[in-house]
Amino acid sequence: MSPVLEVRDLRVRFGSMAAVRGIDLAIERGQTHCLVGESGCGKSVSALAVMRLLPRGAKREAGAIRFAGEDIARLPERAMRRLRGDRMAMIFQEPMTSLNPAYTIGSQMTEVLRAHRGMGRAAAVERAEAMLTRVGVSAPGMRLGQYPHQLSGGLRQRVMIATALLCEPDLLVADEPTTALDVTVQVGILKLLADLKRDLGLAMLLITHDLGVVARIADVVSVMYAGEIVEHAPVGQLFAEPLHPYTRGLLRAIPVPGKVRRGEKLATIPGIVPRTEVGFRGCAFRDRCEFATQECAEPVAERVEGAHHWRCRLASGWLEAA
Amino acid sequence: MSAAIEANGVSAVFNQRAGTFGVRRRVVAVDDVSLTVPEGMALGIVGESGCGKSTFARLLLGLLAPSGGDVRVGGQVLQAMDRQARARLIQPVFQDPASSLNPRRRVGEIVALPLRAAGVARSERRERALSMLSRVGLTPEMATRYPGQLSGGQRQRVAIARALVLEPRILICDEPTSALDVSVQAQILNLLAELRASFNLTLVMISHNLAVVEHVADEIAIMYLGRVVERGAAESVFAAPHHPYTKALLASVLTPEPGLGLPDLPLGEAVPDPANIPAGCRFHPRCPVAIPRCATEAPARGDVECHLVQSVPT
Repeated sequence: MSPVLEVRDLRVRFGSMAAVRGIDLAIERGQTHCLVGESGCGKSVSALAVMRLLPRGAKREAGAIRFAGEDIARLPERAMRRLRGDRMAMIFQEPMTSLNPAYTIGSQMTEVLRAHRGMGRAAAVERAEAMLTRVGVSAPGMRLGQYPHQLSGGLRQRVMIATALLCEPDLLVADEPTTALDVTVQVGILKLLADLKRDLGLAMLLITHDLGVVARIADVVSVMYAGEIVEHAPVGQLFAEPLHPYTRGLLRAIPVPGKVRRGEKLATIPGIVPRTEVGFRGCAFRDRCEFATQECAEPVAERVEGAHHWRCRLASGWLEAA
Repeated sequence: MSAAIEANGVSAVFNQRAGTFGVRRRVVAVDDVSLTVPEGMALGIVGESGCGKSTFARLLLGLLAPSGGDVRVGGQVLQAMDRQARARLIQPVFQDPASSLNPRRRVGEIVALPLRAAGVARSERRERALSMLSRVGLTPEMATRYPGQLSGGQRQRVAIARALVLEPRILICDEPTSALDVSVQAQILNLLAELRASFNLTLVMISHNLAVVEHVADEIAIMYLGRVVERGAAESVFAAPHHPYTKALLASVLTPEPGLGLPDLPLGEAVPDPANIPAGCRFHPRCPVAIPRCATEAPARGDVECHLVQSVPT
């Protein structure tokens, strides 16, 4: 089966700063692919590049973005607009900034159906109500008449998800969809996304900085650092045997109840994510890595073992050897 | 051990108007809360947004006058003290250092400002600010930078340095790591633990993240709609939570363990609204184990405020 989304060697720069430095991604139908990393690592920029929504000042270079077999990297904007909201959809962290405060939920939801499906008003309202019910919003008829500010954060996020899924897209890109929500609400939203993915056969690209979320929802994980994917593996393998020192550092820094005793120090990664200029060579993590040697200033080839890919001079089993 | 800070039946009630012509709403953000933090201890306060935890922080800081009850620091009523005296005893660290640091002041000036307000001589100010910067892991060279030139973690270090420069006895941290990446969060939590020991600080740590609080706090208070519904030693609350709400909060922590999937949370759809607190037990509309009595009768005051839990009254 060919993937719904296939990205090859995607590069994005802002002036002389290289934000995304040649990433590959492939997401199949019914699969959740998590892109994880710290702020500034380029994960949101990658998602925006896939949707062809990069801000002005950002320049995408080379790279293929194949969506359902077609290269959309050079598709004219008119054709992209037909795809977005229909075959591919995106949801964001803060629904308050992506919902228009001046229009009712109903008018924003039906607009999608009228634009992409040419539906009449009555049919569009009916479909919007059905979709709100599907995402667990009670009293959907009343909600359609309300404005975004009248809803709670969790409800707004459900409305966003419903709007994104109105046309039953093949690909859903979710950028930190639960970061602004309470932990109890977060669980509900993630469950909803997992159910929808299964029922509608969505391919889902989920961007998050939270490895707890990744562990519970991902099928496949790509760890991003300074514009590169430094490790990529099925979720079980990545958590059982992280092979990149950065992934290991991230995992150890999470406070887990009962794991690190109070009074004991949490493991940290010293330093901060570097800005990488165009033409940067070598491993970008080397300044923060306890295993770095002079060799790490040279370009690093990707290592592959089965479905596990990582970009480090260290071979698997290095930890036992160290 | 004497109490460093205690809240005696404090309440915060706001009269809000929804829009210019809207109906007046009486919002009870904090409802008759009593808590004591002994000298040198760390108390963690956990709850969802809207539960009143940040309002409670403002009460503890003396930034907000309580509608009822009082806050005492070292036995003295906080509201009766002047600002100077208060600032020497108790200081805050907020969530987002980008908005709590003046972007037009250099780091050195920001950290020295509390000293200037306290009337410390200029020569001494500089020295003390620089030494505090080094205590939080920043180089003297950072003193000449502006907050905008620093990373999030460095900015939070500046906020901590500013809070500690007067050597207060109590530090109130409101979501100090929520805006930070996990690797930086670990650095800041380690720093707080280190400073707490060396300054013998009393710490109040407010967070929605139970795992963060668990790592730092000796005691935990769980807030729901303005009340503390469960309190106890951190170990026992985490090992054996009693209140159904505490159980739900603990269940919703997503630990990095693949294969576990997403937990089932038996919480109802109802969204808690501090302007419209349910009768009886305030948690009953969302409670998975509620009995008829919960809708009519408020549970007795105690360490665990729940009809279904035998609790020792405080």
